[in-house]
Amino acid sequence: MRRNVILGLAPLLLPYCALFCAGLTLTLAQSMGLFLPLGPGEATLEYYQALTRDQGLGLSLRLSLFVAFFSAAGSVLGGTVLALALWRMPPGLRRVGVVSKIGLILPHVAVAFLVLLMLSQTGLVSSALFQLGLISTPEEFPNILHTGSGLGMILAFLLKGVPFALLLIGAVLFGFDIRLIQTARMLGAGPLRTFWSVTLPRLLPAMHSAFIILFLYAFGSFDIPFVLGESHPGMLSIRVFDIFFHRDLSQRPQAMAILTVMFVFAAVFAMLYNRFAAYMDAWRRKL
Amino acid sequence: MNAESPGHDLLRVKGLGKRFGTTTVFHDVSFDVARGSLVSLVGPSGAGKTTLLHIIAGLQKADSGTVSRFDGDGDRHPAILVFQDYVLFPNMTVFQNIAFGLKARGLSKAAIRDKVAPLLNYFHLEDRAEAYPAQLSGGQKQRVAIARAMILEPSLLLLDEPFANLDRNLKMETALFIRSTQRTFGITTICVTHDLQEALAMSDHIGVMLGGKLRQFAPPLEVYRSPVDMETARFLGPVNTITAPLARLLGLEICRLRPEALRMEPDPEGPGIIIASHFAGHYMSYTVRILDQDLAVYALEPWAQPGDRVRIHISNQYPPIFGGSFTEDSCV
Repeated sequence: MRRNVILGLAPLLLPYCALFCAGLTLTLAQSMGLFLPLGPGEATLEYYQALTRDQGLGLSLRLSLFVAFFSAAGSVLGGTVLALALWRMPPGLRRVGVVSKIGLILPHVAVAFLVLLMLSQTGLVSSALFQLGLISTPEEFPNILHTGSGLGMILAFLLKGVPFALLLIGAVLFGFDIRLIQTARMLGAGPLRTFWSVTLPRLLPAMHSAFIILFLYAFGSFDIPFVLGESHPGMLSIRVFDIFFHRDLSQRPQAMAILTVMFVFAAVFAMLYNRFAAYMDAWRRKL
Repeated sequence: MNAESPGHDLLRVKGLGKRFGTTTVFHDVSFDVARGSLVSLVGPSGAGKTTLLHIIAGLQKADSGTVSRFDGDGDRHPAILVFQDYVLFPNMTVFQNIAFGLKARGLSKAAIRDKVAPLLNYFHLEDRAEAYPAQLSGGQKQRVAIARAMILEPSLLLLDEPFANLDRNLKMETALFIRSTQRTFGITTICVTHDLQEALAMSDHIGVMLGGKLRQFAPPLEVYRSPVDMETARFLGPVNTITAPLARLLGLEICRLRPEALRMEPDPEGPGIIIASHFAGHYMSYTVRILDQDLAVYALEPWAQPGDRVRIHISNQYPPIFGGSFTEDSCV
């Protein structure tokens, strides 16, 4: 039976494992100075040691975590609020929710350019305010995108993330048994307690899933940081790109070491976060 | 809605009507529920029983008529509906489910413990206090749902099909448990069910809903023995029509009788012949043809076979549900 399942999945599993494992192995090997374009080389941890001494890398890591956390948390929060608002609408009006799907359809890079065109100091909003006479020069428009805080990237991630979270959380919410809420209200609970004790625990698994996916995507994403990010500090992905393509071939192992660390971080983060989510959802474990 | 009490009644339903689009679910439903009593609303599926219960609970709005509750403090002693599938909070333990209403009222942890513990004991749930709903049997879930409502001392407890999710052998036991619990706590209860035996066994009053109307609202014996019309009579159980030829033979008037009024005995010369028999567990149901008329007769023992000839006795202990009564037993 099990053998049949494995054989059935083989056409999918084999290319996936081959590509993923080969890529991962090669990355790991090159991060240790092996299989480099320059020659076979000798195994060393020198590039990892170099990472610990790289202060710029620390700043990049901090920025990546900051952008990933706030874009994921903001998306989950926004998606939850929107899902609740849509859920409370009369069924006929819920169709307006389709507007939120626009953000899902657009590619990340398009969303990045959208934010750039709208909110840069030479963007549409700035021009509109200038034309309306609300600011005397376009440069008076506050620099939102390039402040080093990652705000522009967070805005772009939110534009993509909120509809994604809305989709995941809304799917749970629209299948939610309304009688649970009716029962809570009959038992004397107010709207807040009802939400906190009855509705939220049902939404948490979808919220956790949305958060972890969005966090890890933002943490390692390249397209939005490439359009909206800065170099100093840059997101980790930009740093890897920079080292890999714009520097000497001999520095390639350092890029690979950063990639390996990012992969290990993502795996450990996913594992720890799942444990945390399971702890929060203690009741599900007993089912 | 709360109003001034007209006497010992807790609830007055007056001229209630409900439509879904162009379909009338029910109309002109009126009845009073006495304080501390247990009322069952029975009827076939689609009769509007649950809709009526939801309107009484305030979960749906009626298109016409009023529901008046005479309990003064509706916030402190609310009307609580226990849904058919109990709707326990899946993320809370049995203890947390039962304590939910008390917590919502801001009681201290110690006060909640003091109130929940005796209820867990009463409902035989002490050893399941830390279990989650998914770990409970259907009967346990129902007891948790009733306990969760009872702990708030509701003025009105509404039970939607409380026997629907239970095994056959548990239904009557549960009905009697609901009855004894209702008496112990003195909570006025309205129950919607299509399990007639259980409704008859536990209720002070039965309301029969048929064809969008409340046909009869009376004590169980009265509803069973003196139904207002044939449809109501047939809904509550089989009815034997004693037509003119058979009535003449029996020396009775034309009447309608429940199977319990009939008894049969084996007699090779008897005028009746058994044409069908059905084993119904604790009794046998026979169809006896006599003078081209089929009669339903119950017996405790499976002593007869289809084709056997029998004699029929009619007991005056069970007055006809329609037609003139008789003072002596008859036999044919």
